[in-house]
Parts: sequence; C-alpha cells; structure tokens
Amino acid sequence: MTTSAYKTLAPTAARKRTWQKARTYAWRYALLVGALGFFGFPAFWIATIAFKSSSEYFRNPPVWIPASPNIAQNLDKVVRTGGLTSIGNSLIVTTSATLIALIVGTLAAYSLARYRTGGPNFAFWILSQRFLPPVSVVFPVFLLFRALRWVDTFHGLIVLYATFSLPFVVWMMRSYIREVPIEIEESAQVDGASRLRTLFSITLPLASPGLIATGIFTFIFNWNEFLFALVLSRTNVITYPVKLTSYFGPEAAFWGEAATVSLLATLPVVIATLLMQRYLVTGLTLGAVK
Amino acid sequence: MNAKKRTFAFSVVGAIAMVASACAAPPAPAAPAPAAEATAPPNPVGELAGQAKEVAASAVMTAMPPKAGGSAARAIELAKKYAGTTLNVTWEAGLQSQDPLLFSAPEFERLTGVKINVIETPFTELFSKAVADHQAGGGAYDVLNYAPTWLADLADGGVLEPLDAYIEQYMNKDDLNDLHPTYAKYQQWKGKTYGLWDDGDVFVMYYRRDWFEDDKNKADFKASYNRELTPPKTWQEWDEVCSFFTERGKANNEYGCAIQRTAGNTYLWFYEQFRSNGGRFFDEDMRATINSDIGVKTLTDMVNANKNMPPGVEKWGFVEVLQAWMDGKLGMIITWPPIGRWSEGYGLESKQLEWVPKTKVAGKVGYAVSPGGHSELAVGFMLGVSSNSKNKEAAYAFIQWLTSPEISGQRVKIPFALRDPYRMSHFNDPDYAKLWPNAAEYLKVLQEGAATGLADLGIPGAREYEEALDRAITAAYSGGDPKAALDKAAEEWNAITERIGVESQKAAYADWQARLGANAYP
Amino acid sequence: MIRREGYRIRYPSTPINRMLASIRALSDKRKGKYVLVAPATVMILAIVLFPLLYAIVVSFQNIDARTAVGTFVGPKNYLDAFRDARFLNALGNTLFFTGVAVTFELLLGFILAQTLIGHLPGKRFIVPILMLPVVIAPLIVGYTWRMLWDTQYGPINQVLGWFAGRPIELVWLANPVTVWPAIFITEIWQWTPFMFLVLLAGLTAINPEYREAAEIDGASSWQTLRYITLPLIWPVMAVAILFRALDAFKVFDIIFALTNGGPGTMTETISLYAYSVGFRNFRISYMAALTLILIAIVSVAITFLWRRMSADQERMA
Repeated sequence: MTTSAYKTLAPTAARKRTWQKARTYAWRYALLVGALGFFGFPAFWIATIAFKSSSEYFRNPPVWIPASPNIAQNLDKVVRTGGLTSIGNSLIVTTSATLIALIVGTLAAYSLARYRTGGPNFAFWILSQRFLPPVSVVFPVFLLFRALRWVDTFHGLIVLYATFSLPFVVWMMRSYIREVPIEIEESAQVDGASRLRTLFSITLPLASPGLIATGIFTFIFNWNEFLFALVLSRTNVITYPVKLTSYFGPEAAFWGEAATVSLLATLPVVIATLLMQRYLVTGLTLGAVK
Repeated sequence: MNAKKRTFAFSVVGAIAMVASACAAPPAPAAPAPAAEATAPPNPVGELAGQAKEVAASAVMTAMPPKAGGSAARAIELAKKYAGTTLNVTWEAGLQSQDPLLFSAPEFERLTGVKINVIETPFTELFSKAVADHQAGGGAYDVLNYAPTWLADLADGGVLEPLDAYIEQYMNKDDLNDLHPTYAKYQQWKGKTYGLWDDGDVFVMYYRRDWFEDDKNKADFKASYNRELTPPKTWQEWDEVCSFFTERGKANNEYGCAIQRTAGNTYLWFYEQFRSNGGRFFDEDMRATINSDIGVKTLTDMVNANKNMPPGVEKWGFVEVLQAWMDGKLGMIITWPPIGRWSEGYGLESKQLEWVPKTKVAGKVGYAVSPGGHSELAVGFMLGVSSNSKNKEAAYAFIQWLTSPEISGQRVKIPFALRDPYRMSHFNDPDYAKLWPNAAEYLKVLQEGAATGLADLGIPGAREYEEALDRAITAAYSGGDPKAALDKAAEEWNAITERIGVESQKAAYADWQARLGANAYP
Repeated sequence: MIRREGYRIRYPSTPINRMLASIRALSDKRKGKYVLVAPATVMILAIVLFPLLYAIVVSFQNIDARTAVGTFVGPKNYLDAFRDARFLNALGNTLFFTGVAVTFELLLGFILAQTLIGHLPGKRFIVPILMLPVVIAPLIVGYTWRMLWDTQYGPINQVLGWFAGRPIELVWLANPVTVWPAIFITEIWQWTPFMFLVLLAGLTAINPEYREAAEIDGASSWQTLRYITLPLIWPVMAVAILFRALDAFKVFDIIFALTNGGPGTMTETISLYAYSVGFRNFRISYMAALTLILIAIVSVAITFLWRRMSADQERMA
C-alpha cells in the first residue's frame, strides 16, 4: 500500500501517523460511547419504569434501579385497563393491512416494473401519496368513513392503513422486481407459463428477500401509526398508541402502565428490525439509497 | 332563596340533626359495617382507620340493596327488561374509570343482566369523541359521561337525549329534591333536562392546621404582618401566608402553597379568582371582558403567586401537587375534594390507590373554601344518554341507578371512585362523617363550597373559550405579559362568540346567569 | 436454455378454469398491465383522492359542530386562515421545527457516520443499537421523554444536578427557554439515526481511494471533507434531507405527547393546530381549508423530491 511505503521512507512520520491513528480511535470510541449512552438511556429508563411500583417512579430524587424489580404489578394493571387488548387490536389491524398492501401493491409494482405502466409520472404519483401529511388526509377520510359508517371498525382502519402502505409497497417492490433479470421470466414464458404464473412462481421467489423486507417495514409503519387511529377509534378498535394517551390524564399519570405497554409494543419491532438490518436504509429511503 | 335557607339550616344545625335523620332510615341488612358504626360510640383515631377500611371494603364488594320504590330499585326493574344487552359507556380514562370497571358495571350486570362496556377516554376526548360519533351517524355510545359545561353544546348539537320523559316515568321525585340545590340548577338547558348530576367537584382549600397553630409561626407572622396567622380569607392574605411559610421552610424543601398550573385546567383557578375579585366574562354586548383591569390584576397576581410556590409549579398537575402535599411539603393547596380523603389515608390501602403517596399529613389538615369566599365548582361530571343509542331506556336506567341516593351514596365513599358528595343525603351521611376524625368538618366545607361556589362558564363553545383562556394563562406563566395574553384571549373569545352567533350566545349567557344565579356571579 | 418451442397445458373447460383462463389471458394481453395496477389505483383514488376532492368542496362552506349542512361561503375560510394569528404562528413553528431539527440531525448524523466509517472493532454491535430509535413509535418516544424531562421524577434534572452540585429544577416543558431544546433533543434522539444510517450507507459507497489520494496530496481533513467527501455524498444527503424535512414538517406525535403545543401556543405546529380545529372544536370547513393549504405547501417539497428521484430513475432505466 502507498501508506506503508511512506512509513518505511519516513519513520518519524510513521510514528506520528500511529499516534494519530491511536488518537483517532480514542476519539471515535469516546464519541461512540457518548452516542450509545444517549441513544440507549431512554430505553433503559422506560424499562426500569415498567419494573417499578408507582411509589418508586414517583420519587424525588429518581431511583435508577428498582429495589425489587417486578413487572407483574404493572402488567396486571395493563391487562385490567385494556392495554393488552389494544396491543391485540393493533396486531389485527396491522397484520391485515400489511397483507392486503403486499398483495395489491406487488401486483401493481410488477406492472410498473415490467411494463412501465403509466410512465414515470404515474409511478411518482403513487409514491407522492406517501408524503401527504396525515393530518390533511385524516379529515377527508373521516368524512368519507362517516358516510360509509366505517368509523371505529376494523375493516375501516385496515383499508385505510393498507391504502396508505401502498405507495411504499409499490415503490419498493418495483425496484426489487426490476432486480430480477427479465431473461429468467422470458424463458419461463416461452415454456408456456402465463404472466401471473411467472410472477408467482419465478419472480416473487427470486425477489422474496425484498418482499419480506417490504412486509416488515409496512408492518412497522402501520404499527407505529397514531393520528388515524386517534381520530377513527371509538370503542371497538382502540390500538395501543390510542390506549397510551389514556394513561396520561389530567387527574392521574399512569407511568407504569404506559411504560409496560410501550415496552410490549416495541419489543417485536426491535427484534424484527435487528433481523432486517441490511434492508433498513433501503426501506427508510424508499430505495433512493441502498 | 329556598335553597339558601336550607343550606343555612343544615350548616347551623350541623351533623347531629343529619345523623339523626339518616339513622331513622333502616340500615341496610347486607351492609353491616355502616350499621354497626351508626350505633357505635365515638371512636379513637386508630379504630376509625380500621373502620374506614371496612367501609371501603364493603362498598367495593356489593351494591347496597335498594330501597323499595326508590330510584335505584325502579332503575333495576326497568333495566331487567333489557337483560343481555350491552351498553357502551364513556368514562374518563384511568383512575376515574375504576369505579365503573370494578364496582358499578359488574354490580349493575349482576342485578339486571345488562352488561356495561366501559370505554375509557381521555378527558378532553370525552367531548370530541361524543360529537364525532354523533356526526358519524352515532351508535357507538349509549351513556355519555361529560363535563357540565359541555351540556349546552351537546344538547344543541343533538348529541344528548332529553331525559324529562324518563324522569317523569321512572324516577322517584323525592330523589330529585335530595340533590344539592346548586347542582340541581345544572341539569337543564332551554327548559329540558339533558343529564343527571354525578360528581360534586368543588375546590377546597386544604391547609396544615399544625403549621397555623404553631406558636412560633404565630408570633413570627404577627411580627411581620401585624395580624394573626389564620387561614387566608382573601387572595392578598393567601399570598402573604404562602410567602411567609415559603420563606421559613424553603431550606427544608417546604413551601407555603401550591396550585396545579400545568396546561389544561389552569383556567379554573382564574375563573375562581377572577369572579371573586368581581370580574365578569362578558359585557352587555357579549364582548369578552376577561381582559378588564380585574382580569389583568387576577392573572398578574396568579403569575406572582407562582414565585412562592415550589419551583417547576408551572408544569405541576394534580399528581405533583398531591405528591408534595402528602409528603408534608406544602402549607396550603387548593384542589379537588379527593385529596382531603387521601390526606387522612382514607382508602389508601385499596389497590387502585396504590399509586397515591403515603400520607404524612393525616390528622393535620384543615379545610376551608377558597380565598375570596367562593370556590370554583370545577368541572364536575354529568351522565347523559346518547341520542343515537339503540337502548335508551336501558341507558337511562343505568344512570338513574348510578346517581340514585343509595348507589351514589356508596360511590362517594368508594375511595377510588373519585366521586365527591353532591346529594343532601351524602352531606348528611353519618357514616361518611365518621370516616376520619374531622370528616364532618370536611363535609361541611364541601357543602358550603357547593352553596357559595362558582359554576364554570356553561354556554355553547365552553370548551373553546376555556382552551383559549388556558393558553393565555400558560403563556403568562412562562413569562408573557398578562395584559397582552388576556387581550389575545379576549380577541379569541370574541371570535368564538361571533362564529357561534352573538345573539344566540347572548341568550345562552343570560340563561346561564339566570339559572345559576349567585353561582354564576357572587 | 431458451426453448423456442413451448406448449400449453389444456385445462378442462369448467367455469372456474374458464375464469382463470380469462384472467391469464388478461394478464397476457397488453391491457393486463392495467388490470394489475387497477386495485392499487382504485384504493388510492377512493380513500385518498376522492375524500380530498370532497374536502375542497367543504372548505368553501361553513360546516361546524352546530351546522351540519353547510352553505357556500366562497374563499372565506382561506382568507381567515391567513389572518389567523394562531395559524401563522403554527406555520412559523413548523418551519422553525423542521429547519432546526433537520439541520442538527444532519450534522450529528454525519459526525456519527464519519466516526463509524472504515474499520472499527465492535462496529457490528454498535450500529444496531444506534439505529433502533427510528423504528420505535414516535408517540412512545414522546411519552418516554416526557417522563425523562420531568422536573421532579425525571433523571435529566437529577444528572444535571450532579454536575452542578446543587439541585436543578428546570421545568423543561413549560419554560420558554428550554421547551424547544427539550423537543429538539427528543426529536433528534429519534431521527439522527436515520441520517446516520443513510449517510453511512452513502459514505461506505464512496471509494476510499479518493480520500486516500487527497490525503497523500497533503489535503487537510477539512479540505478532504469539503472537496472530496461532501460532493460525492451530496446526492444521498439531498435525498435524506428531503425525506426528513417532509416528515418533520408533519410532526404530530412527539409534540402531542410532550407539550401538546404549550406553553400557550409556543410549540404548536400545523398538524396540532389543524387537529385541534377539526377534532376538538369541530370547525370542519375551516379545518378542510387548513388541510388544503398544508397540502399545497408540501406539494412544493414533493416536486423537488420528484426531480431528484426521477433523475435517479432515469439512471436506473
């Protein structure tokens, strides 16, 4: 390497370089330890609250490690106040919406990827829906759902979430399908397979890592959604973010329950993300950065 | 007039007469604890605590058997026709909901076969979701739990079902008269009844008797202020006493006073102090006058008062005030009735109140109406029937049962129900008066507070007026100019009035003043 | 591999098979491509676009909690909006929030990415931890930090107190000086990892030889950054900024949980204000107008994004 050539030529420079390198490492690690502390601490804190009794999290000065960690007491209250049900509701809504979006979106993506249906403008029109501020959409949607009597129904929320996931699914799946060499499809078709058969038996299996990543992302986005649920839920379909707001009222602050629900709701997402690490950047930027 | 006279009579004759009259009613056989208490001689403190526990426990277990022909009994009869149906009932989320979840709903189902599905909703959403549901075609809710100030909007918007026909047919009319006259004034709007009163929320000034009775404090205070150290009767006195205690105890983290100042409900303390100072909400042309000199003085005083309160009070809510008070760190607070019960440790052993800090002030607390002589009848709760309900009769039966003298009398004693006395039979309940040594005094102050209290502004748009004022107040707390903040709020008030309609608002405001009388402006 | 001669399977002529055959035929024909996009298009049209068109109609009426059937009032609601001090305040807050948050996230994300670029033992464990905030629900993040910022029961004042040597009793979320910083730190906590991940991906894609060459030529690290790294990473950075800015502009959850717009309206953003107008006060027509103004503003940013991404697309094609 060029650097090693320099080292042999100028020993002082090399020493300086080694020293510099060590110093850089020290700096980098110091910075990273700081970052880890900053980004990790809130997770630690919320976890400790979930394991504290109310007299322990309402204490000044705050107690960092609960004396006798016990999540059962908070879990018990979460169950009694419908927190667990709300997580179940979220699961139903999110899973159904994700599946619908994956099916409908992938079909459209295939058409866009292979036929450039509607040209780039159409593709971008679909994508642009992703950027509409939810607060500007939720209101017209509320009016529509009111007319359809879909407010506070599972199907209402599922259709809404599925529709709002479509831009993401279409856009992502379009690029994953494009990555499947068209020659493979062509050869299958020559063998007599129809387009749909080709899509399901050739293209999708080859694009399956992308499909799974897209599915998990769609799930996460819907899982974390709050505003639509806040506006459209009444009694039947209270998702966990809506439930969470009820733990912070003017006459009481139920931190233990809130922390426990937060923890329960976050764990699956975190695990999924750790498994999908490789796809995170692609997913977050709709494939604009890989 | 009549109401005033009666209240006066009660406060003069005091607990004895009430005990006698209440004892005349045969004690319920299934509730042995209260019956035993009624005949027991005066108790030392320790025994009282044990009894409080018993009362709490028995109250939680089962509903009192209803008096034959009473509203509770008739409600149960009515509801039995609907056995098997489910009623959706909104209730404020969290602690408030423990009453229906653990007591009222299961008991009502046991007695009638009607299932109650409690829908916990954050306070502010109780209003918006009810309206949204109605606009969405409705049917999601059968029973609505709402703040009295929203009644006008909910009634005008067609969200609430008029109850007069049901009351006529099913209620025992004596039970209507049992309601404290002040609270009875709330239930109507434009001549129709839209709700049953369900919570006697009134601010109480709690003070530390031991601090006020301390000889050194008395002497020092007299030296500085040239008058006796007494619980404040005016806001000026409040500031002086608060400042005195804060100066004295600051080093030990003790403060003279605290009032919750966080956004959301802080306008209530302005409503109270503003009207005690002689302020009025609107002039004859329905232009907002909250930014009058009285308004500016009130808000300026409130901002200045914060300086004597614990640091961070601007973000304190109910829980923070409670925490510091129970910890013995505060000399005076003004807040809702439950804190008075909890201060004595009443019901704190129940699981739902596990989050309430252990009390260090039991036996040391005195009660009074707010400085200025008028306590805000702050928020409160009413129960109504949704006009979109498919089971209106069953829904009505449920609220009649809940608010009947027997059941409400039980609920105001359930420690975690957060329902405060509002019927004459509550104020006169001999069992209640014995829950802790000076419980009788507590009831007396609640009753006085109800009689002389000030109702929240209850005209259409109430929530919008409140929000605009609340924003102005929090802006002033964090350093904004009080005059500018109130000018802005007044501008917003005028805009709200104009949007709803000046003439109709004028009429509604006149109606509100006429109905509430001295409870609108002292 | 490619066989010129194929053969088709003959299915017995049952109704189901005839139906399947017609679907297959559709997807084989030129029209088939439209059939495939139809469900997605119909869903978007029905759930998003149709209601938006209806909202346009409503925005010219006067519907509120008391008036269920509106009458036409012309552009009154739009004119009102631009005279509405609270709306303008919310608009300003939103722009301020977006500008500051995205700037800090970009800077911190870039520093973190620079720190992690190249060989570093332990990197495999550090990166996953740093990226987690982006997948947590913003509402949970908001409530979590609300508890962290608490004057009495939160650890932040406590830790500051250790350094200061005296109790710190800052009222983070009500003090006009600290409320924005508290919101920004919360927001930065959640979204810096996004910038960091995207920029790390971008930096990793840059051939290290460019930088090495610059260093050999005696360029200072600042010069390397300014003239080599930044220009190379700019396309990625621009996308990251646009994405973040569009998302930050519609912020709702975090502020809803932390301050709900307070003290006063100091931290109220457009989304919070519109929500409050529509769903707390039920000024339906007015909210429709606010909504459409918001969409108009966002459309400008979306157009920028389009330009950039369609350029990428052409390269891909």
